[in-house]
Amino acid sequence: MRKNPIGTTARVVGVLVALGLAVFPLYWMFVTSLTSDHNLFGNHVQLLPDLSRIGVYAHALVSQDVVRWLRNSLIIAAGTCLLSIGLAVPVGYALSRFSFRGKGSVALGLFLTQMLPEALLVVPLFAFFRTLGLIDSLPGLILADTAFVLPIVAFILKGAIDGIPRELEEAARVDGCRPLDVLTRINLPLIAPSVAAGAVIAFFSGWNEYVFAVTFVSDPSKQPASVGVASFIGELSTPTQTLMAVALMYTLPAVVFYLIAQRHVVAGMTAGGVKG
Amino acid sequence: MVTVSTRVDGDPSTRHGAEKRRKSPLGSRWTPYLFAAPAVIYLVVFQAFPLIQELRFSFTRTSLYTPNDNVWVGLANYLSVIGSSTFHQTVQVTIVYVVVCVVGAVGVGLGTALLLNGEFRGRGVARALMAIPWAAPAVAVALIATWMLNAQYGVVNRLLAAVGLAVPGGLILESPGRALPAILVTTIWELFPFCSVVMLAALQGVPQEVREAATMDGAGPWWSFRVVTWPVIRPTVDLLVLLMTIWSIRRFELIWLMTQGGPVGTTNTLVIDLYSTGFQLFDLGKAAAIGMVGLVVSLVVVIAGRFVSRRAEQEVSR
Repeated sequence: MRKNPIGTTARVVGVLVALGLAVFPLYWMFVTSLTSDHNLFGNHVQLLPDLSRIGVYAHALVSQDVVRWLRNSLIIAAGTCLLSIGLAVPVGYALSRFSFRGKGSVALGLFLTQMLPEALLVVPLFAFFRTLGLIDSLPGLILADTAFVLPIVAFILKGAIDGIPRELEEAARVDGCRPLDVLTRINLPLIAPSVAAGAVIAFFSGWNEYVFAVTFVSDPSKQPASVGVASFIGELSTPTQTLMAVALMYTLPAVVFYLIAQRHVVAGMTAGGVKG
Repeated sequence: MVTVSTRVDGDPSTRHGAEKRRKSPLGSRWTPYLFAAPAVIYLVVFQAFPLIQELRFSFTRTSLYTPNDNVWVGLANYLSVIGSSTFHQTVQVTIVYVVVCVVGAVGVGLGTALLLNGEFRGRGVARALMAIPWAAPAVAVALIATWMLNAQYGVVNRLLAAVGLAVPGGLILESPGRALPAILVTTIWELFPFCSVVMLAALQGVPQEVREAATMDGAGPWWSFRVVTWPVIRPTVDLLVLLMTIWSIRRFELIWLMTQGGPVGTTNTLVIDLYSTGFQLFDLGKAAAIGMVGLVVSLVVVIAGRFVSRRAEQEVSR
């Protein structure tokens, strides 16, 4: 393979084309945010960003809506992250280390919930949340988002605990360590990277979530960035450059964190699919 | 990274374990239930309970305005759904959408994984950049895709015009013939990186010596792929097909924000139909019936898929 220069060139070209296609839309978001109206709507296509226009980002941030959107998204994401991890760690541990009646059903149930579309449950959840007074509230969105990401996080953590030698915790148990302590003192530190990966997935499922946010929240002060950015689509009064700047500020955190956690995220998600 | 073999869990009633369990009051046979209970109860409350509620809605006439005021109508919603011609179109669109997404995402994912596999400079950077579409929020993807596909100012139209393939009037998302292909391309763009990353991991399990031996014996790249690589990555491909099927059936934001199922229903998948029936026609009963039919269909597809893939695995191992 290495001796074949044509093959190598073909590979380089292939990789570059694939990378170009993968990156282009976000690049275009960036370029559009830094393009003058004249070039945006004229006949000339501007392919490079005009960095002197970078002030559009500061301008977008000054607008009260954007800061509030991002803050609400942050609260929803952080809440979803904490609640999911808190629920997923013990169930992942139970599935990994114990054999008990109904274990198969729990695993199957976790797998099957991944098949339920948000759009299917949005109405009954809406009715349910209205009786609980959780409409127009960020905690309500956290509760709904957690239900949909919890199974994935649980499988990630189960897979991680599967990978730790049993002998470690058996030694601890002989020393009189209780199960909860075994989990928190022996296992958790060892699966820290997977916990971090699960936390990233849960965080960004809250950050990205749209269906519940647009259905449950009508109070503008409670709207997260997903609803805000979606409201830009087909809207004409906000300058296109501002739309793209806001969308990019909403997108970049997700991209950066996913890239960092990528390896563990993939391992966990596929483990969930295979073993479910 | 991708393990397919099912690990056999240790027997909990080994002499060793039984002794310890007696010592601590918490370490009894209830321990696993205590650990599993919070998540299980949570999912029963926020997934199973709403699902049952939705099932009940599907047998009633219920308006979005008065969701607690239901009139029992038996199978009327199901009959009206199954009998309507728009529903047949919806099922067709869903099948096309799911099949093309699965084939496209897994195919492009496999192609890029083969490209990125092996040693070359900048491999780490290339792999990281390739994952970007997967990480971008669907809402942001819908916004940039809509802008790129804009009839007048979109870069796609400008590029098409530059190479002499201009679309009449520039209409893409507004055209019944072009909206679905445009949405398919966007979806595959969003999905393929995940397949690529998973496949790359699986490719690490391909024995390099065997590949080289095959090449020395005169096997072309295609033959060595079929004989050496494919059997190793086959289980991963099956898994990805399963995941992509589930994700494609569920997909909502991208389609809803780009076309809302239009024009004239050409991008109206089951999930979009379910949502618009509930939130634009306010007919919760019918929406629920659509959802239930869709759920049954996807369950059948997934179970059949797993069955076929198990059979194939047995064939191979025989």
